[in-house]
Amino acid sequence: MTGQILLVVLLAIPLAGAGATWLVRPVAALHGITAVTHSAVLVVSIALLGMLLNGSPPHAFENLLLVDPLGGVVLLIVGSVGFTSAIYSIGYLHHELRAGAVRPRELRRYYALLHVFVFTMLLSAVSGNLGVLWTAIAATTIASAPLVDFYGSRDPLEAAWKYIVLTTAGSMVALFGFLVLYQDGVHVLGQTYDFSFPVVAGIASRLPAAGALTAFLLVLVGFGTKAGLAPMHSWLPDAHSQAPSPICALLSGVELNCAMLGILRVFALTAPAAGVSHLRLVLVLFGLFSLLVAVVFLISQRDFKRLLAYSSIEHMGLIALGVGIGAPLAVFGAMLQMVNHALAKSLMFFATGNLLLRFRTRAMADVGGLVRTMPATAVLAILGGLAIAGAPPFSLFVSEFSIIAGAVRSNQIIAAAIAALLLVIAFIAIVAPFNRMSFSAPKAVDGVAAEINPVVLVPGYLSLAAVIVFGVWIPGPLHDLLAGAAHLVAP
Amino acid sequence: METFEYSLAGLVLLITYWLLIARRIRGAINGYAFQSVVIGVIVLATYVQSLRLHLLVLALSTFLIKGILIPVVLRRQVQATVYDKRETHYYVGFPTALLIGMGLSIAGFVAANRLEIVKDLVGQPVLGVAVAVILIGFFITMARQDAVMQLTGLLVAENGLLLLGLVMSAGLGLLVDFALLMDVLVGAVVMGFLIARMNATIMSTDTSELTRLRG
Repeated sequence: MTGQILLVVLLAIPLAGAGATWLVRPVAALHGITAVTHSAVLVVSIALLGMLLNGSPPHAFENLLLVDPLGGVVLLIVGSVGFTSAIYSIGYLHHELRAGAVRPRELRRYYALLHVFVFTMLLSAVSGNLGVLWTAIAATTIASAPLVDFYGSRDPLEAAWKYIVLTTAGSMVALFGFLVLYQDGVHVLGQTYDFSFPVVAGIASRLPAAGALTAFLLVLVGFGTKAGLAPMHSWLPDAHSQAPSPICALLSGVELNCAMLGILRVFALTAPAAGVSHLRLVLVLFGLFSLLVAVVFLISQRDFKRLLAYSSIEHMGLIALGVGIGAPLAVFGAMLQMVNHALAKSLMFFATGNLLLRFRTRAMADVGGLVRTMPATAVLAILGGLAIAGAPPFSLFVSEFSIIAGAVRSNQIIAAAIAALLLVIAFIAIVAPFNRMSFSAPKAVDGVAAEINPVVLVPGYLSLAAVIVFGVWIPGPLHDLLAGAAHLVAP
Repeated sequence: METFEYSLAGLVLLITYWLLIARRIRGAINGYAFQSVVIGVIVLATYVQSLRLHLLVLALSTFLIKGILIPVVLRRQVQATVYDKRETHYYVGFPTALLIGMGLSIAGFVAANRLEIVKDLVGQPVLGVAVAVILIGFFITMARQDAVMQLTGLLVAENGLLLLGLVMSAGLGLLVDFALLMDVLVGAVVMGFLIARMNATIMSTDTSELTRLRG
């Protein structure tokens, strides 16, 4: 009962926030509402996860909504990165307002859409029904496309259009897969049944094999487009470089994970019938290919936000690879990678967002001398760069190492070798530019070169602290959550 | 009743061919509205056949949302200048487009034949049409340069998905159908909004002018 109330409250908060920010006019009130709603979402998310870990998984409306460990991992990500991105938005938009780049009227549109976007991602995480899951994931695009186009000039518009057309087409392919999956269930349960995870999981091994395989492949290609797996990733670097930085943090850190959740859910339901080894092989191939494509574009990158976008493709590829390897260590690493990617990538978009506000360019060559001009941001960019590249002692080292070690231990040496080689190249391609921007001679900036404001630094340092702590010690409850999720995707 | 439904499904495929080679945006939007109404009639027929109430609601909301609301929204968002524009930009020629469309139909029917279904209300022929319409819709989106035409392609593919749902998940109930329809409606409104921005920013809806982002 408490679970049902908390789930309703969780989803009601961002909707109420959207309504309130649409109606309220004073800028301070808009900032205030956003800070309150996202703090509340974080608190309720943690309460729901607490119930889950205490052995009473929250559910509501005959499993239309439920929190299980896999959805719980994504809920944790939406709650925490949603919170840091909202706080960062406040500092970011405050500066943009003063700089005259944004008008107060546009602020209302931004905050209203931000709340709707967070709502769709929360719904993806807590949906217990496959129909609701599909709707929520498809809706994340619709809510965020106008945010990608926030600055409204030619390039953001191009990015937003590509984003909405390609990912909507992808969602439709995924829907095809969901309908095939429903039909697979009809073979066992008859024409009308409850299309929820517990019910379908109960008959997973009795589904027709060919139908299960078809459903999985369609969902993988469809939601793989939304998750940025190569070769369906072409929209991603555009959308993730043109959107305002706090939105990039959400698109990259959270939305990609929501799409990945859709793939993993269907993987878990179809694998018993379609053959676990076949589906894993497909995931390994998509994972390695995504790594390869990401590395090729990382090397030749001149734009620091596009660099981060390709690093996201790399991270999504690693998650697919880890689940595809299938060894318990690798799957656990993949789950940890989802959390680490969300924290570290959002942190990097916060750091580069500060650069963008100061230098008004995304070209790496035009940025220099950060340690002297913006020391606090420079520390974030250097350490964050090391973190997303997978250096110890940061937590991404742990997750990436687990994935590779899992592959070696389960005798998948070729996959492990290719992945390790690509990760080393990616490491250099990511770390070098941020060091150059930090330690080279300062470039001329009009006006005073200094930090933007304290509010745009705090969220980044919070994420950095988490990435460092999880690198040396994973708290017990988090470990249980990740282990539970890994158990669900390693049938 | 089934013969009636299958004939209408054939009509849906014919309208899709017509949309494939439609030259005017006005024509494409009207063609989409007509196709949606025909699909609404098919759903209505399955309601008469089965008397499942959710099919009646689905039929009515299909008429309302896809037959009326979305076309009206599109006509409003797409300003008068664009609305009457003669659309001649295709990445391939019209005869080639039609040939590819026919090839995709064959592929659709072959693929549909390989899907094992337990027949509920309508059977394999509608499934073939559904897959063919989805494939042709995606092809329209990829091959057209005009943003409004690309959106129409996605909407056509989504009409195919509705037919697919009728074959494969008629027992699924209302919630999902309705969520899908709302998704389509809101998606079309947001895309219409972006098209209006495009019209204001580059004075055109020709996406071949939006190719600056690379690498």
